[in-house]
Amino acid sequence: MTPVTLVPQPDVLQVPWGWFQALLVFTFILHLLLMNTMLGNAILAVFAGLGRNEDYHAMEKQASVNLPYAIAFTVNIGVAPLLFLQVLYGHLIYASSVLMAVYWLSVVGLLIIAYYCAYIYDFKFEALGSRRTLLIAASAVLMLTIGFIFTNNMTLMLTPAKWQAYFSNPNGTILNLSDPTLVPRYLHFVTASVAIGGLSQAIYWKIRQQKGLEQAASRVAIGMRWFFRATVVQLALGTWFLLALPSGVLSRLTSGALYPTILLIAAATAVLLVLYFGIKQQVWPAAACVAATVTIMVLIRDFVRAAYLEPFFSLSDLKVAPQYSPMIMFLVSFVVGLIIVAYMLKLAAAAGKEA
Amino acid sequence: MNYPVWELYFAGGGLLIAFIAVVHVYVSHFAVGGGLFLVLSEIKAYREASAPILEYTRRHAKFFLLLTMVFGGLTGVGIWFTIALLNPAATSDLIHTFVFGWATEWVCFLGEIVALFIYYYTFGKMRPRQHLKIGWLYFMFAWLSLFLINGIIDFMLTPGRWLEDGNFWSGFFNPTMWPAMFFRTSLAFMFSGIFGILTAVFIKDDATRRIMVRYCGRWVLFPFVAVLVSGYWYFKALPAEIQEMITRRSPELWVYFKWFWIVSAAIFVIGVLKAAWAPQRLGKALAFVLLAIGLMYMGTFEFMREGGRRPYVIYKHIFTNSMRVRQQAEVNRRGILQTARWVKNRQITAANQMEAGREIFRLECISCHSVGGVLNDILPVTAKFSVFGMDSQLDGMGKINRYMPPFFGTRQERLALANYIVRGLHGKKDADEPVVRTDPGPVDVPAFDADKDSYVLLAWNDLGMHCISDSDPYWVLLPPANDLMAQLIKRGPKPEVVTRDVVIEYRVEPDFENPASHVAFWNYAHAVFGKSLKQNIGLSGNGLKGEMEFNAERRVFEADLIPVVPYPDSGGFNPYPMFTITARDKKTGRVLATTKTTAPTSTEMGCRNCHGGKWRVAGVAGFSAETAMDVLKMHDKHNRTDLLARSRRGKPVLCQSCHADPILGAKGDGVRLNLPAAIHGWHANYLSMRGTEACYKCHPSSPRGPTKCLRGIHSKTMDCTSCHGTLEDHALSLLKAEAAGGKAEARRLMAHLVPRKVASVGDVKGRKPWFNEPDCLACHQGYGPAAKGSSSFNRWTAGREKLYRESHGRHGSLMCEACHGAPHAIFPAANPYGFNRDNIAPIQYQQKAASLGKGNCRVCHLKKPGRGGHHDGM
Repeated sequence: MTPVTLVPQPDVLQVPWGWFQALLVFTFILHLLLMNTMLGNAILAVFAGLGRNEDYHAMEKQASVNLPYAIAFTVNIGVAPLLFLQVLYGHLIYASSVLMAVYWLSVVGLLIIAYYCAYIYDFKFEALGSRRTLLIAASAVLMLTIGFIFTNNMTLMLTPAKWQAYFSNPNGTILNLSDPTLVPRYLHFVTASVAIGGLSQAIYWKIRQQKGLEQAASRVAIGMRWFFRATVVQLALGTWFLLALPSGVLSRLTSGALYPTILLIAAATAVLLVLYFGIKQQVWPAAACVAATVTIMVLIRDFVRAAYLEPFFSLSDLKVAPQYSPMIMFLVSFVVGLIIVAYMLKLAAAAGKEA
Repeated sequence: MNYPVWELYFAGGGLLIAFIAVVHVYVSHFAVGGGLFLVLSEIKAYREASAPILEYTRRHAKFFLLLTMVFGGLTGVGIWFTIALLNPAATSDLIHTFVFGWATEWVCFLGEIVALFIYYYTFGKMRPRQHLKIGWLYFMFAWLSLFLINGIIDFMLTPGRWLEDGNFWSGFFNPTMWPAMFFRTSLAFMFSGIFGILTAVFIKDDATRRIMVRYCGRWVLFPFVAVLVSGYWYFKALPAEIQEMITRRSPELWVYFKWFWIVSAAIFVIGVLKAAWAPQRLGKALAFVLLAIGLMYMGTFEFMREGGRRPYVIYKHIFTNSMRVRQQAEVNRRGILQTARWVKNRQITAANQMEAGREIFRLECISCHSVGGVLNDILPVTAKFSVFGMDSQLDGMGKINRYMPPFFGTRQERLALANYIVRGLHGKKDADEPVVRTDPGPVDVPAFDADKDSYVLLAWNDLGMHCISDSDPYWVLLPPANDLMAQLIKRGPKPEVVTRDVVIEYRVEPDFENPASHVAFWNYAHAVFGKSLKQNIGLSGNGLKGEMEFNAERRVFEADLIPVVPYPDSGGFNPYPMFTITARDKKTGRVLATTKTTAPTSTEMGCRNCHGGKWRVAGVAGFSAETAMDVLKMHDKHNRTDLLARSRRGKPVLCQSCHADPILGAKGDGVRLNLPAAIHGWHANYLSMRGTEACYKCHPSSPRGPTKCLRGIHSKTMDCTSCHGTLEDHALSLLKAEAAGGKAEARRLMAHLVPRKVASVGDVKGRKPWFNEPDCLACHQGYGPAAKGSSSFNRWTAGREKLYRESHGRHGSLMCEACHGAPHAIFPAANPYGFNRDNIAPIQYQQKAASLGKGNCRVCHLKKPGRGGHHDGM
């Protein structure tokens, strides 16, 4: 039995894989930004809760308001990439999920608890007093745990060589702890969350500042400081992650071929710009560069995934039995849905002013 | 096949999915109906200019947000996680077929979240018209979510044309999609009333609380009517086989079906209470009771829907254990261990049989069965089985009762699985039945003086073996009732069969005189046969000794229904009790002749091989209570009867009280199959592709057993199947006659039976049990020796009068059995309880175990007879 014989047979696609790939990348970028905002705000809320000054208090309060939205949209926007991931890589992730089924399924329970903690934190913010920090810390720890479980699965699905462990443990309690990329990869995402959590606060207070709130300036500064410091740490972690990649994968990435080279150069440029705008505390340019960086990073991640899977699977292997009408239904409803959402947001934005 | 299987022994059996799915579905239906409830309640508040009602609506919206968005939303994702873990193959089918359906639903989910946030957070801050607009948009998104998911879920139950064309729209707009949509929408509204009551009972102000509770009560009641109407439509739209699965075929579903109606009534009553009176005192308690009842309602419906599609997860496409319908033939040919990916043991050897069995168990069983868990625990339902019984159960799965998938794999793999369940999971030793040692004691043959004696007395038992079900407290298949026959011949130049002026008596050997002290037949004879019998007296009034009556038609003396049992008073088991037959001159009482014969009777009926329990007597025969009760339990389970309960009330059932049976002259009810067809037809589905094993696991013909009923000359070169065919052939011959008589049940039992003696079912000749039997002359043409390898299967006697046991030789004088012995014990027979125990007459009259008079006419003829003899070929 070789690892390849364990790789399940994929099912047939409805439209060529490129469509799903585009949808996957697009929705994953959105999910990543939201997830980073969510986790970053939770972590920031814990540290801000420990701080004593007025600014920290205001930022903590703001985090409490942000969190229920952030969780709701992280989950919602997460559904789409998980769906498209299952279309393209379902045969891999179903297998790896079963191997770590206990942990994987626990995500649902952990998230429900984390979510309710965040709501209690928000609704009872003042009433809880200092105990609220404990509550949001619990929520943050749960989110970090979920992230760790995701990192395990996302690496395990790429490495069928590890799947043999199933034969000595079919109970769904396998983790991919021996994978050298696991820790740097996980820390890479967590640190990104801290950075973007800071940035999200900076953006919020920047808007308030523009609307004339004087105290906002120092909060923008705090947010940008979080952002910048985390990004500096990220440089080291990113390098660690890169070097921890299996040699075959790394050599594909650094082979000098056009596409990966462009990606790497673009990434390096974007990161430099992020650092520059970070230290300069320029919120909007930094935010734009972060969006660009995340996009490039997602593309690199995608390239790395393909390199991992190369020995036994390529997206172009997937068979297609074409039927386009359902996709048209989706695209139309997506556009109409977004128009209605925009309309509702417009009504909501007007609401406060009328009251 | 394609994926690893999560070995969830305790928490398996669908526990995870049942738990997460039922709560999610309950809350998510509320999330749809509750949207309309919020909007209409808000409108009510504006119309009545009621600030308290508006405040109630706002508070209810907060409850709604926290319950539906957090718990409802995440458990929905949870279902997705769960099904992908439990049945990745089917999940992959759903994802790949409906990816854009799911994606569209995701857009609705996004719209719902945005709308709900805005609705709640701008409550009182937005202009009423615009706020209501947000509420309506929420409801629209929520209902569309339901619309999309309903199409996909219902596709699993009735995929319709998708099975042929694989088209998204064929699957989505499947045959029951619309009724299901109306049904679920009605449920959603009803649940919004239930949850409305839950928050309304907490309103502090008495007047507002009363108004709102009654208002919510109407939300329960009016949709409830729609639930019933659309539920009926939904049910009627289902294919007949699914309807039948829900209402008849699946034993467990029946429970949910009943509860569905009980819970319906409860909802109606509480709904009326709330709507009409809104009682104060029980208010909060009733609200929670109603909440729980609503959950049960959802649960029973979901269990029925999921159960109705058994044994599939996507109907006729993929089974509940991830096996695909189209792969069945290949897997049966190559083996599951060869075709599944996540398998370590590719070949079964003696060393790895247990481990391979465990792998097969994982692949085929644990997606539905827990091991020692709460749901579908495999341990109690398999506790009774030996490896043989388990293997047979696996053989029958997915055939007659289709609520479980068929076994996928080879015979060897099936045996490995049975072995794992019995020896591995239950830790049973399950050694083969030991070879029963019988005592071949001396056989005391009466004397005969060929020179002096004037009479030859021949006696026999007409069937060669009469089985008895000594399971009397539970059921009776065959009572103790042996028939003995005798013919007295006056020797002479022209011998004659004596029919007048003689008395022929029979008497059992002393050790067998008290059957009533061994079996409970006499305690239940009245309940079962409606006859009050004296101890040790049989159904026709004959006891263990008495006079035989002359039957003029057959020209034979006979004593019928003698209640002899195979249990000697001195203990143990002997299925061949000996009777002494004496002929006397009627006038003088002088003894004219004496002979002996056995009355073969056995309780070695192997029901326990599959139904569990031990032998009742001496470790070799008889029905234990456990075996007998399991037989009834299974009959009740599969046929919705209450036989076990009846037996517990002291009313055991006679099988032939419903099923016709020519041997007892039972007419049956005209609807059900005759008993031989029913029993053989049913069990043949569980005992396919076997040889005589399939016969002797039930009948007393095991070569290792204590009876060895096939003991005549044919046993030397032939076995049961030579004349009767294999069990499939045998069952088909019985079922075909019943099917021809218009009994639909026969077709159901025949559907999976493949004949083995002939090429096709069409070639099997239907027959009536007991009367159309293998014809001796089919092989012994012209009464000559049979050709090697000839078989009388499918060459049945034309009717009762043509049976061997009913036939006479030329001149209509001697019966065939008189000279050749009883069926299955044709001379020379080898009886395990003394070689000549069945050969008394030949030994007595010609000192040779062979057909009487063969080459020795002087047994009767004192002068050499003319040509011809009793039949051709002599």
